[in-house]
Amino acid sequence: MSTEQSTTTAKLPLPTEAAARDRWNRARVEELLIRNSMVLVLLLVIAYFSYKSARFATVPNLRTILIAAAPFALVAFGQTLVILTGGIDLSVGSVIAVSAMTGAKLVVGHPGRLWIAVAAAVGVGLLVGLINGLIISRLNVAPFVATLGMLTAASGFAYVIGHGAPINGLPQEYGKIANTTILGLQAPVLVMIAGFVILAAVMKKTAFGLRIYAVGGNRTAAEVAGVNTRRTLTSVYVLSGALAGISGVILSSRVISGPPNLGQGYELDAIAAVVIGGASLLGGRGTIWGTLLGLLLIQTLNNGLDILVVPAYWQAVISGILIVSAVAVDMWATNRSTS
Amino acid sequence: MGHKPQHFLTSVEAGASTHNSEGKKMYKTSRRPSAIAVGVVALALTATACGAGDKSSPKAASGGSAGSGGERVGVTVYDMSSFITQGQEGMNAFAKANGIKLLWNSASNDVSTQASQIEQLINQKVGAIAIVPVQADSLSPQLQAAKAAKIPVVAVNTTLKDTAAITSSVLPDDVAAGAQEMTMMAKKLGGKGNIVILQGPLASSPELDRTKGIMSVLAKYPNIKVLAKDTANWKRDQAVNKVKNWISSFGGKLNGIVSENDDMGLGAVQAFKEAKVKLPVVGIDGIQDGLAAVKNGDFIGSSLQHGRVEMATGLAVAQMIIKGEPVKKSYTYVMPPITPQNVDQYMANVVTNKDAFLKRLPELVAKNLKSGDIANEK
Repeated sequence: MSTEQSTTTAKLPLPTEAAARDRWNRARVEELLIRNSMVLVLLLVIAYFSYKSARFATVPNLRTILIAAAPFALVAFGQTLVILTGGIDLSVGSVIAVSAMTGAKLVVGHPGRLWIAVAAAVGVGLLVGLINGLIISRLNVAPFVATLGMLTAASGFAYVIGHGAPINGLPQEYGKIANTTILGLQAPVLVMIAGFVILAAVMKKTAFGLRIYAVGGNRTAAEVAGVNTRRTLTSVYVLSGALAGISGVILSSRVISGPPNLGQGYELDAIAAVVIGGASLLGGRGTIWGTLLGLLLIQTLNNGLDILVVPAYWQAVISGILIVSAVAVDMWATNRSTS
Repeated sequence: MGHKPQHFLTSVEAGASTHNSEGKKMYKTSRRPSAIAVGVVALALTATACGAGDKSSPKAASGGSAGSGGERVGVTVYDMSSFITQGQEGMNAFAKANGIKLLWNSASNDVSTQASQIEQLINQKVGAIAIVPVQADSLSPQLQAAKAAKIPVVAVNTTLKDTAAITSSVLPDDVAAGAQEMTMMAKKLGGKGNIVILQGPLASSPELDRTKGIMSVLAKYPNIKVLAKDTANWKRDQAVNKVKNWISSFGGKLNGIVSENDDMGLGAVQAFKEAKVKLPVVGIDGIQDGLAAVKNGDFIGSSLQHGRVEMATGLAVAQMIIKGEPVKKSYTYVMPPITPQNVDQYMANVVTNKDAFLKRLPELVAKNLKSGDIANEK
């Protein structure tokens, strides 16, 4: 159907200039819509919930969606970079847990040294990412395998830190990290926005961003072109680990506790967000902006379905169907615009 | 009772041997050159696993043989949750005081692991086996094998479907716990208002039972309406988002939250803080942060499921069976209600003064089994 459309446009004789301009405008609008199909899907979902409930489209509810999205966004941004290189990072859920447990353990032992606990938690995430990166780039272990192993190992380590139990009794100061409000927004939301702006700029404007796309597009070609592919590969896993570490701090600080099963399943939600955002799991294609749209779609669904009091099992069914349909629409739109 | 400090260790020994066998399996995979990295990960895993053993061992010197009594009781638990960690302390205290040797195993939430652990315990000809099941409708062949080998089995915390094959059980009454928390909330609301319910993982047995208890009380209060009920999978971080969404949805109509455990209730408290409202919340379990919430008024109450008492009682029942004393087919207890009036006592037993509590636990358990009030902590 798509080919039919474009060939007719190309072959059709142009009767008058006005008609030609009309047609040209229509094609342009169409292309614009196709290119932003995910924005359209998100707007449709928002429109639907706003129509069904007067309580959906309010400022406090927008804040509710954003604070729920924040810890998840950082992980999804990191995952985007990894997926752009053609890899995958399955370990992030456990990294969240091990970072949160590290932070919680230190802050319970030394309540005065809040920032050391936070630095250590993020540091642990970074370290796990570095190990992932080195195993993948130096030993050529498939990212799926290496990070799957790490998912298990780091989860075990989270339990080791807590001696098999959640850490309770965290000082109230620890909660201030995630619960401080600046300009009407909770700190994690601001971290999410900062993360988005910085990473989007890095990917669009810097040589580092270009190298990530190059490695994902064709590793051999990138190498021939002089890109240090090993270093590039390692760095994306380091970033992913560190961002998961920050996410772990945010999550544990918000509820002032350190559960060793924190972040369980986040890796799959993050991958879903990246894929909904139009990235290819083969690497080389995808954007931070797309991931942001993908995760906002997931979070909006979670929020809207709760507001409409849809039972959890139906929520799972609806979310699953919407994720696949969103990607199907995106694939259809991409095919249409390229053919 | 006697002083036999060596006894503490028994459990750790068993744990360490499990880790060793795990390690061996992974070495095998690393023989292939392509799998070096997997091997590295495996090594790291083994290392951390050993670390776990080391870390939990400081309380324990190397365990010798029992001395007096010398009964060997095999234990397999579903996983090392905070509840089980408490329970292990309680069991160790009871074992130490009574000269029992414990063979401790954790099944990491895997039914087949638990099955093979029971088979091993049968092969080791232990005097009795205490099981905290991964899943209620499982282990039937292993229970039959234990029965054939004349090894008594005590189910603790969760029942096993094959009740004919188990000798006794020690179980919390989750239906009563649900009813108890709903009653607390109904009284707080004066029998009128709108609530939401945070459930455990849907279709898990504690969730089903606690929900059943909540609903049975609600039937008596026609003026209390349930605006929504949904799961947050026992988790604080899931509950906080769920409750924030409900606050968006119901706004000022909402009057209270009934949570099927403390963690989710604490998530609700956080959601209220963020939305700058204050509504009554009630939980179940009596974890450290839950007790603190009752004390500072964030919770109107909770119900105490004390792992130390429950699992020590399970061991005590196993010991009675070994000794040939008569036991009941099932010991079910109603979790003691935690209120602002009595929270200090439980805070002491569970958190601040737990060592003193563990010291008197063996006698307490024996006394409770005689009186039948097995959750008593006085």
